Amino acid sequence: MKRAVIILYVSALLLTGGCASGLKSDRHDVERLLLIQTMGLDSRDGAVEMSVSSGLGPEDRPSLVMSAPASGIEDAIARLQNYSPENQLFYAHVQYLLLGEQAAREALQNVIDWVDRSPTLRMDTDMLVVKGRAKDAVVDTSEQATDITQRLASMDRQARSMGWTIYSLREVAAALAEGNGALCLAIETVPSDGRVFTEDKQSGAVVPAGYALLGQQGLVGFLDPEQALGAEILAGDPAGLLITVSGCTMEILGSSARIGGSFGPDGAPAGIDIQCRLQAGVLEKAAGPELAPEELDQALSDAAAAWVREAVAQAQALGCDALGLRQAVLDTEKAMAAWGGQWQERFPSLPVNVSVQGQVERSYDLAE
Amino acid sequence: MDGDRITRKQFSAAILVSLLSPLLRLLPQTALGLAGRMAWLGALPALAPVAVLGLVLASFRAYMRPGEGMGGLLLRWLGPAAGRMVLCLFAGWFLFYGGFILRSGAERLVSTIYPSSGPLLFLLVTAGMCLAVSLGTLRAAARMAVILRAVLLGALAAVLVFSLPNMDASRLGPLGWSALPQAIPGALPFASVCAVAGCFSFLTGYVQPPKNRRWLLGTVLLLLGLGGALCLAVECVFGPALAATLTYPFFVMIRSISLLDLVPRIEAVVIAVWVGTDFLLCTMLLRCAHEALRPVFGCPPPDGQPMGALAGGRWLQWLEAGAVLGCGLLFDLPPWELRLWSDRYIPLMSDCVLYGGFLLLWLVTLPKRKTGR
Repeated sequence: MKRAVIILYVSALLLTGGCASGLKSDRHDVERLLLIQTMGLDSRDGAVEMSVSSGLGPEDRPSLVMSAPASGIEDAIARLQNYSPENQLFYAHVQYLLLGEQAAREALQNVIDWVDRSPTLRMDTDMLVVKGRAKDAVVDTSEQATDITQRLASMDRQARSMGWTIYSLREVAAALAEGNGALCLAIETVPSDGRVFTEDKQSGAVVPAGYALLGQQGLVGFLDPEQALGAEILAGDPAGLLITVSGCTMEILGSSARIGGSFGPDGAPAGIDIQCRLQAGVLEKAAGPELAPEELDQALSDAAAAWVREAVAQAQALGCDALGLRQAVLDTEKAMAAWGGQWQERFPSLPVNVSVQGQVERSYDLAE
Repeated sequence: MDGDRITRKQFSAAILVSLLSPLLRLLPQTALGLAGRMAWLGALPALAPVAVLGLVLASFRAYMRPGEGMGGLLLRWLGPAAGRMVLCLFAGWFLFYGGFILRSGAERLVSTIYPSSGPLLFLLVTAGMCLAVSLGTLRAAARMAVILRAVLLGALAAVLVFSLPNMDASRLGPLGWSALPQAIPGALPFASVCAVAGCFSFLTGYVQPPKNRRWLLGTVLLLLGLGGALCLAVECVFGPALAATLTYPFFVMIRSISLLDLVPRIEAVVIAVWVGTDFLLCTMLLRCAHEALRPVFGCPPPDGQPMGALAGGRWLQWLEAGAVLGCGLLFDLPPWELRLWSDRYIPLMSDCVLYGGFLLLWLVTLPKRKTGR
């Protein structure tokens, strides 16, 4: 009997290890696996167009870049597989999910649902909204020596070190599920002026272009780069951001934001009060008249207040609270229970009072 | 019999590991559906019904003779006819529940790691392994539980630690005393999970006598604490609203874990390790069912009997394993219906049998208790 049990165990190990090919398992031949690293989705007349890039392979193997129009995401995946029969496309290591403008407007919830149900894609995949079409970003930025994944990875490092936030699909989905809006880094492709190309083809570069504002129904608009600075200051984590104020290039060293609300006699929110403190250090100064330290502090305060004001005004104009103002104003259980449901209606018309206290560090360097 | 007894530590390890299976099946999504963002506090109000069940079971235990389990006691107290009927009902539930555990474990493997496969292979293999272990001694299964406990708690701790960077406490929203009552409905899944420990009362004849009534309190508190921590982690990672809509939020959370970019994905390992909980629970349910049916059919204790023989009550164990496999095959339902069974019908039936059944038996056997028999 013990021998029978041992045989049963060994059989179980052989059958369930995932290597048995005849059992309709998810067996992948490693040599044929092609890891998709960037996935782009566009929406076109109710259908989708999926573009993928595999990233550069070993020994300078060029990236495989493909695009397929289809009725849905799964259909697109099947078509892309047909386009590349020599490879087995594998989506478990997708690093970047790009949504074209139209797809972000029409199919955002569909994409979130699909990733949740997908056994391969992860919810923590970085999500970016492309101004224009995702296909253009995936296909047109690829050349022999580089591809979209490399460009995005480079932009990712640069953007994070400069204080921009790249949100994951999970963070976007969580914010939307709570009834709020969500921010998502927007990117655009621009001609890469100044680069010397060895090929005939001149591909574009990928650069951050502010934030996309995502509401329950999808993309509602964008925060331009200056408004995006305001959003970062509100989030309280803009350290590393480079700003230019009165001819001085400064790096933000730290900040804090206190967001509160004023309430009417019935307890209803009647206004939003935002108080920020900002510290920045001067990196460069353009030629021109010198400013006294107090004047530089004031210029920083005024500029930052304008960015914050514009960011909130844009969110209000679009009716999309992606800046986390609801939680900050209705910060008690009682207030949230009473007014959380009406926030969406009241938010666009609430007066906003912004005050920023800026402090420029190392200003003595400037005076010397 | 004394030589075959398992220690109290082994017994509590078997309970803890087995109950991790329903814990991950019900939590956090069912608790989130009932209590929203206060789901993680559901463990606190769950203490009340769990304590009542614990006291009821302890009161039965006080009247068990040495080496006697719940089966022997009920047959002695209720008489041959009523006793056999009650034992058959309990055994029927254990086998039915075991079949469901087999099927839901297989379904979880299919939906999380092997989307192109079917559940049949996993069902057959797990059932075969459960039978093999249940034919062995209870001590062997209990020793395995001790090893599995270390592996599973280690895996769970690692998952929680590596998920820390993805957690954001602000997703819990404003907390206040007024929100606490919302946690009360969330106690239901916690209480349902703990009730499964009631099945193990049929095995107490094989366990060293406890020193006091509080001997399993630590295990129950650890289980409730783990459930609460799990809910809290998932809520902080996904937010309560998103987590409630995800199919398996815990496993989606694992999918996002990367060990410092050295190991990009670990979910296949963790989910494979989690098969151990389904496997042990199903094995223990087979043993519980056998302990319930053994007095009915007058079979001797299985430990020490030759494994390959059909005599000495072994035939009954094969039949029980066949019944579990049959129940598992009967649950050939689409995933959404299986989830409905998992979230609603099975916990409801389990609560009726375990809370309702033991409370009713406690009331019915009150006269016996007064006479001290």
